[in-house]
Amino acid sequence: MKDKENYNFPDDAGRYGEFGGKYVSETLMSALEELENTYENLKGNEEFKNEITEDLNNFVGRPSPLYFAKRWTEKLAGAQIYLKREDLNHTGAHKINNTVGQVLLAKHMGKRRIIAETGAGQHGVATAAVAARHGLECIIFMGEEDIERQSPNVYRMKLLGAEVCSVTSGTKTLKDAMNEAMRDWVTNVDDTHYIIGSVAGPHPYPKIVRDFNSIVGVELKDQSRALFGRFPDKIIACVGGGSNAMGIFYPFLKDNSVDLIGVEAGGSGIETGKHAAPLSDGSIGVLHGMKTYLMQDESGQILSTQSVSAGLDYPGVGPEHSYLKDSGRVEYNSATDEEALDSFHDLTKTEGIMPALETAHALAYAKKIAPKLDEEEIIVVNLSGRGDKDMANVAKVEGLTL
Amino acid sequence: MSIINSTFKNLQKNKSKALITYTVAGDPDLELSEEIIEEIINSGADIIEIGVPFSDPMSEGPVIQLAHERSLKNKTSLPEILSLSKRLKKKFNNTPIVLMGYFNTFINSLNSDNNFHDINDEICEELKNSGVDGLIIVDLPFEESEVIFKKLSEYQIDLIRLISPTTSELRINEIINNSSGFLYYVSLKGITGADISSYEELEKRVQNIKKITNIPIVVGFGIKDQQTAENMSNFSDGVVIGSAIVDMIEHIKTKKTGNDFAKLSKFVGEIKSSLQ
Repeated sequence: MKDKENYNFPDDAGRYGEFGGKYVSETLMSALEELENTYENLKGNEEFKNEITEDLNNFVGRPSPLYFAKRWTEKLAGAQIYLKREDLNHTGAHKINNTVGQVLLAKHMGKRRIIAETGAGQHGVATAAVAARHGLECIIFMGEEDIERQSPNVYRMKLLGAEVCSVTSGTKTLKDAMNEAMRDWVTNVDDTHYIIGSVAGPHPYPKIVRDFNSIVGVELKDQSRALFGRFPDKIIACVGGGSNAMGIFYPFLKDNSVDLIGVEAGGSGIETGKHAAPLSDGSIGVLHGMKTYLMQDESGQILSTQSVSAGLDYPGVGPEHSYLKDSGRVEYNSATDEEALDSFHDLTKTEGIMPALETAHALAYAKKIAPKLDEEEIIVVNLSGRGDKDMANVAKVEGLTL
Repeated sequence: MSIINSTFKNLQKNKSKALITYTVAGDPDLELSEEIIEEIINSGADIIEIGVPFSDPMSEGPVIQLAHERSLKNKTSLPEILSLSKRLKKKFNNTPIVLMGYFNTFINSLNSDNNFHDINDEICEELKNSGVDGLIIVDLPFEESEVIFKKLSEYQIDLIRLISPTTSELRINEIINNSSGFLYYVSLKGITGADISSYEELEKRVQNIKKITNIPIVVGFGIKDQQTAENMSNFSDGVVIGSAIVDMIEHIKTKKTGNDFAKLSKFVGEIKSSLQ
């Protein structure tokens, strides 16, 4: 990557090179401006920072451990594999890092109503939890198909006091949930804050969500200094919208000795076209307020995607990932449904840790490359979420009923 | 002078206000949508907005969302819509045609080279040759389109901007400086087809904008009947009717069978008469 020393994105227009921006209807422009101003004013504020740190420590349970997957490393007989345990966070995934911060922004803006989209349900649960903690009304938009795939999380959201709104338009998955959340926001913009759950959407969302998730990479820097006396050789994370990847990559962008690898959902295989990997096999377009790589046909219509994991089943990707792909700083690959399921079982049986199916894509790539590497080398996989939510889905894929 | 400008001039002369109708191209199919638009023009519409279907129409309410879905089931494409526009322009050369849609379809379906780029000369030429007088791109605020605005004006294609109840005074000024044809005032915070809550506030906002610009302002979103149209026209230069018409089209299956066509032209005629 050229001028890596000066990496300072997004620029004032909310762009990462040519990507990003604010492609939304006029009604939302003022809300984006308000959010941007609030965030820029508060982010350096000591009181605000302390408020977040306290929630991250005592509500979320940070810092998350850096765990050595000893048996899996021995089995693969190559590089040492460490796991950044975001699955141990409260509500079971990295998603809470962002919602803890955004709900405080909402309170500072005087909004009493929170909305969010969710695919796998992890962001929905993380949003419902912070809304409950702060006594705010909460509505979660979720595609009808995902509600079926992720029923335990649907019930968790309801227990947390959120209303789960089933989205039946379009492909009935994450992208449609996002459309519906945007429609709600445009209607209730005065008293509502939309907590986008990924580094996607119009500026300033990709930046805010990245910043709040960067705690993962910041901790990893400290932990690797203490544990190895150096940074890892490779960091691997799964990429749907890309928030867990951005969170762990961002603090390392200027450390060129660290290879950063994002793994997209390969579905049935990139060559089949049935996947959710816009960086591997997409083209540039504009969706959900951002210019980025998308899965689309020759008429600019968004294609339906396919992945065993609801959280990666999204036709777009955060604009910063698009930039990092084109600049070459991050390498993007994909893992198929089959490879992800295989690694899901591997980690569960070998380490006693059941990963989310989303995370299993990153593990699948680690499994692929670890045996080819020297045993001195260190790989860190961002273990972005736990897999309890996926049990029914995995059983179904394997022809079992619970 | 562009056809859009002369249309508003003529209306002013006749002490009438503009009736702008919105239908989605390819709903229920391209042939029928051509007949429907002809019927609408013959019934009194002054400006035709043709909706370009998109898989993710984020600003639309349920009625228009379904129309986009119906159209996409037929795989309606922008090149086909441009042919439709061309045919309409031949028959009605004084009726302005405005395409309304989402940015991605405009930039990704008219490229010959498959590389992403903004609206360029090639696209402008195609639009111009197809009789397109203006564009409304819902998800393209002025910040993202200064270059596009200039490019389109080289070809005398108007870029029509939306102003909403949440638009600040500062932004209104910027929008006016970066728009042509007419301004589209969104009557409510929300999606197409929702209900308007406060007329007084609306009237005040529109009148304030009229004080600072000569560009005609029309009001759209949430106008469903004669009475609302008349109320709006008292303080604006015209109204846009979308969901109410699209809702009627949903029931049209073939040309001139049953009363659906007749109902549609009666509705359009009545709205137009309330704007005189």
